[in-house]
Amino acid sequence: MSSSPQPTWPDGHTACLALAFDLDGPTGDAMLNGSIWHKPEYFGFGGYGPYRALPRILDLLDEFRIPTTFFVPAWVVENWPKQCQSIIERGHEVAYHGYKHESFYALTLEQQKDVMNKCREVFWQYLNIRAEGFRTPSGDWRAETPAMLVEAGVTYSSSMRGDDRPYLVKVPGFDTPLVEIPGRWEMDDYASIAYTRAPDFPSGLDRTASYELTLDNWCREFDGAMNEGLCLTTLFHPKITGKPGRILLLEKLFEHMRQRDDVWFATCRDVAHWWLKEHQHG
Amino acid sequence: MADSTTWPKGYRCAVVLTVDYNDVHGILTQAPEVAGRDKTLSVWRYGTQRGVERLLALLKELGVPSSWCIPGIVAEENPEHIRAIQAAGHEIACAGYRHQNYDTLSLAEQSAALEHGCRALADITGQRPTGFRMPAGNWAPGFTEALREQGIRWSSCWRGDDLPFAHPTAPEVIELPMHYELEDEPYFAFNLSPAVPPAQSRIASYSHTLANLQMDFAGFHRFGLCYVLRLHPEIIATPGRIGVLRELLLGIQQHDDVWIATAGDVAQWWAERAVPMDEEHPAAVYERHYRAYLP
Repeated sequence: MSSSPQPTWPDGHTACLALAFDLDGPTGDAMLNGSIWHKPEYFGFGGYGPYRALPRILDLLDEFRIPTTFFVPAWVVENWPKQCQSIIERGHEVAYHGYKHESFYALTLEQQKDVMNKCREVFWQYLNIRAEGFRTPSGDWRAETPAMLVEAGVTYSSSMRGDDRPYLVKVPGFDTPLVEIPGRWEMDDYASIAYTRAPDFPSGLDRTASYELTLDNWCREFDGAMNEGLCLTTLFHPKITGKPGRILLLEKLFEHMRQRDDVWFATCRDVAHWWLKEHQHG
Repeated sequence: MADSTTWPKGYRCAVVLTVDYNDVHGILTQAPEVAGRDKTLSVWRYGTQRGVERLLALLKELGVPSSWCIPGIVAEENPEHIRAIQAAGHEIACAGYRHQNYDTLSLAEQSAALEHGCRALADITGQRPTGFRMPAGNWAPGFTEALREQGIRWSSCWRGDDLPFAHPTAPEVIELPMHYELEDEPYFAFNLSPAVPPAQSRIASYSHTLANLQMDFAGFHRFGLCYVLRLHPEIIATPGRIGVLRELLLGIQQHDDVWIATAGDVAQWWAERAVPMDEEHPAAVYERHYRAYLP
């Protein structure tokens, strides 16, 4: 246990909210193992995210003026290029999230590099950007992954779960550390309100939580993190919380968040730049 | 996105009640080992015993039309129920012949099941069904065309949109996409052994489920979309849960700009509108890709 100094935030803000969505679309295990090509129903469930949910979420973010980071598998960029371009046009950030949502833990170093090269190529071709951020799909990576990311031009990751504020990761062979902006399962909409059959999610087909109680959980996490001066990010998914009913839940959450004027609303990229400037010494 | 011409007569959104009436055949597909286990089967037989009648009474009380998706074998085993549903003015749609997981069937077997199911229903109702819902699983490439050949004009089997859409390879067939959050089964279906759901999850709170469904409706209404409920008589039509559905429907009926219609009527409206599909529609993206991955 270590007592750590209170994080500081720019312009006199006392805490930070880095709203983030994973725009996975139909990518993931079923696409990686090919089974999705026999499941038009499940493909549609995922495709709904970039096609229908994203435009509605972008409208809501405009209304509440919340800069947001979208972690997007490059396959989604290839197939919904206009939708993904509009994220950037409307002032938000797009960052790496694999090609087809690969688990980096299951890949060799060479395979990880191939995926990152493909992502860089697609982002450059379709979005004309080099992204700075990375969120590891499915949550795990290998010991050699941070150095591979830095080599690919990545400056921050939002992959881990074990803290409630950003921290620096020393990368052997590189002077500049990687910034980690950890997320929390409590702020993942899959943990409360996602449900699919074949493939089954949750694996035991457990019940979908109450929207009102889910909102209450999220508001409590936000209040707690902001009261302690921390940085909260989210792992929301357009295909889950961008559905017509659930977006009303997001609307109520954003109303709650915007009641505070001491919170810095920033993209993960801006948080990473700030953290690096404040904390990198020598 | 939806605008003032999306729905007829200035309606803002559409609501479609679909009812999957599978009797014991649904659980026999999910868990074949329950064959011969009368206690377990009776959980699902409750729809035939009580649920259908109670649900029809509510729909009559509220004046709400609905579309019933029925496997042919269920119709053959319960012809009086089918006639009662038909006599009350509801739509009867085909769910194949046996309740089957279509992932395990070839295209020829799927098409034969469709044809057999339509024939079995027509023998009882005197009318060919024009709607189809797959009991479980997915259809094989070519099945959309089989639906069209059988005279099917709407399907409610896919997801990926909150408005209807014309199937890319057979645009005469209008899809009314489903939404997991608008189904009763994920909230309420329960059996001890074999465990349904597999995690033996607690039955969800009725009040919270109602609140979820109401918030879902509020969103579909705000954005002008097509709210497709998927209900089961053995699940929603118990003495306690029928009140959840009553409150939901009464709340919907308080709006004078909601078109509550059968799936057939909504599909016919959509077919007349003939909205072209954009190339980013999930069904169009799927159509462009899947062939490259078939064995």
